[in-house]
Amino acid sequence: MNAHFMSLLWLRVAVLLYGIAALAVLPAALYERPRWRHIAVPATIAALLFHFVSLAEMLNAAHHRLPVDTHETQALLGLLLACAFIIVYWRYKTVSLGIFVLPICFLLGLIPAFRPGQESIPFPQFHTGWIFLHITLLLAAYAALLLSLLASVLYLFQERNIKSKHSHPSAEWLPPLETTDQIALKSLLFGLPCMTAGLLIGSMIAQQTIGPSYFLDPKVLLSFAMWLAYVGMIYIRRHAGLRGRRAIYLSGFVFLVVLAVWSANQFSGVHRFTTP
Amino acid sequence: MSQPLHLVLLGVNHNTAPIDIRERLAIPAGGLADATRTLVHQPGIREGLILSTCNRVELLTVQEESSSSNDDLLRFLHEYFSIAPASLTPHVYEYREHEAVRHLFRVASSLDSMVVGEPQILGQVKESYTVAREVGAVSGSLDPLIQRAFTVAKKVRSETQIGSSSVSIASVAVDLARKIFNSLDGKTVLLVGAGKMSELAARHLIQHGASNILVANRTLERAEKIAAQFRGQVVPFESLYTQASRADIVITSTGAPEKIFSKAHGQQFLHSRRNRPMFFIDIAVPRDVDPKMNEVEGCFVYDIDDLQQVAAANLADRSREAAAAETIVTREVEKYQQRVQSLDAASAIRGLQEHAEAVRQAELKRSASKLAGLTPEQQAAVEALTRSLTNKFLHAPMTALRDAAREGDAQALAELEALYVGQSRGRTDSGNSGSRS
Repeated sequence: MNAHFMSLLWLRVAVLLYGIAALAVLPAALYERPRWRHIAVPATIAALLFHFVSLAEMLNAAHHRLPVDTHETQALLGLLLACAFIIVYWRYKTVSLGIFVLPICFLLGLIPAFRPGQESIPFPQFHTGWIFLHITLLLAAYAALLLSLLASVLYLFQERNIKSKHSHPSAEWLPPLETTDQIALKSLLFGLPCMTAGLLIGSMIAQQTIGPSYFLDPKVLLSFAMWLAYVGMIYIRRHAGLRGRRAIYLSGFVFLVVLAVWSANQFSGVHRFTTP
Repeated sequence: MSQPLHLVLLGVNHNTAPIDIRERLAIPAGGLADATRTLVHQPGIREGLILSTCNRVELLTVQEESSSSNDDLLRFLHEYFSIAPASLTPHVYEYREHEAVRHLFRVASSLDSMVVGEPQILGQVKESYTVAREVGAVSGSLDPLIQRAFTVAKKVRSETQIGSSSVSIASVAVDLARKIFNSLDGKTVLLVGAGKMSELAARHLIQHGASNILVANRTLERAEKIAAQFRGQVVPFESLYTQASRADIVITSTGAPEKIFSKAHGQQFLHSRRNRPMFFIDIAVPRDVDPKMNEVEGCFVYDIDDLQQVAAANLADRSREAAAAETIVTREVEKYQQRVQSLDAASAIRGLQEHAEAVRQAELKRSASKLAGLTPEQQAAVEALTRSLTNKFLHAPMTALRDAAREGDAQALAELEALYVGQSRGRTDSGNSGSRS
């Protein structure tokens, strides 16, 4: 059996486990059932392991295979989000974010697991290690931003719940405000160096292989605008102590910029996924 | 046959006895061992445990049949606590056998508590059990029952939400503070004004980790006194508005006729705190905090009515959960009874099997000389034949014993036991003595 087949097999197992974790996390978080939490968390950890093995199998054929098409990068984003969920659980002992994060991991892994994209990158002369780092760091920054946005939404829900002055049993699953605030801010602080390093590595590779014309591409320019928006958002959040509704607007805006950068891969002349 | 044992529970609680009776029956922690020891030395009492809390005093005992009336237990209460029988008897309740099991499970699960779902009772039952074990008052009958009660209580806690919500004003305030700040460790609490309720709330917050206490009062001496009580710091009332933003939680209970904190104050505090949330607990009537401050993002204002509403809603939730907990207790009582009864049948069945085997061996021994000429194969065949016949004869009574135990038919079980086990033992004894002679 070749590495590609094994990679797909492990990815499918991982997706199945993400699905189980996504279902188990609902009673674990909504009804505080420890028994279900003991399924959701180990299932996510097992999914992460299988997903990592799948990635390792893929890198086993590293000279001609990288997570470069839309579906594969989606799967890698799912892995990073699942990692983030486990880190949040380990640090803050809350599984509430899993209600949103785990179904996203499942969906992000589903298509690449059953409809794999192209097998090779069209620029074999590239150093695969640096490209992989470029992709992973940027995806980590996207995952951090998504996590921060979700945490901000939970903050808003909890804030409204407390302000309503009615004890809603259905809102008991929401984490405390300080927890979601910490998750939101620390995710952004983690994402900034990832995004900076990812863009720098990408720029160096582009400078070496394509030259200065690369930096005139709208997609590339939009990427740098995204970095500026990210930095601006962190500055405002830290210095003005932005929380709640306004924090969501700000994170939402930056998230839209990120989506625009992601979508621009389809149209860019010099930076695009290999699949149509 | 051993004498059958009976489970009897006798006691008073907050529903049946007024406080003056309960306080006379209350046993201090240091005296529980002596009381338990005295209880099990009463005639006919084999095992015993005393549960003594501020809301109940209960005697859980295993008694021999001859003393299955509650006279001994009542006499113990009268003598040990020096209370006239006439003043005690009307308040006493008594449960027997499976009703006693049910009551114990309900008590341990906090379904019989004054505040349903309160967590202290399980610890109190555990303390009583520890003392009873130390003085050797619990063994074969009570030990498994009490262990089961702990398991049931744990199950009720984990499978229902009976103890998850707070029902007192102070604990509701703590819960809300934790919804905002998660951990209260290192949080600063500002007490504005003085009052019993605000001090109680502050004490609860400190118990949960709040460490920095600021006190502001129009009377400086009063402020200093409260600050000393909490090892806090006095904030002059004149500098209240400049100092208040230091606090994460503000508890107000002044007698001021006008509002002390307005919406604008909330905005000012939040600005100087860079929008870090503030929680205002307004216990004063008339209120000290303008309710409009709750509209400020990051300011959370709860007045006494809001806190009481949350407490009442939580209490209603507990009542709903109590219904689910009662179902669990009923199921567990049935399971426990079935287990106890099947154990009874197991003992009877074992007795019957032992008797049958003794008869078989005796018959084989008696015929040993006649069977001496048989080959080893033929002797093995005789052995198998007698064993098979014995098993076939035993099948019907054993099935009947098991059925009676499963159905909880104690009378049928006793009759079957007397018919097969009792008589057969008698015959074995006489047969053995006959063969010996």
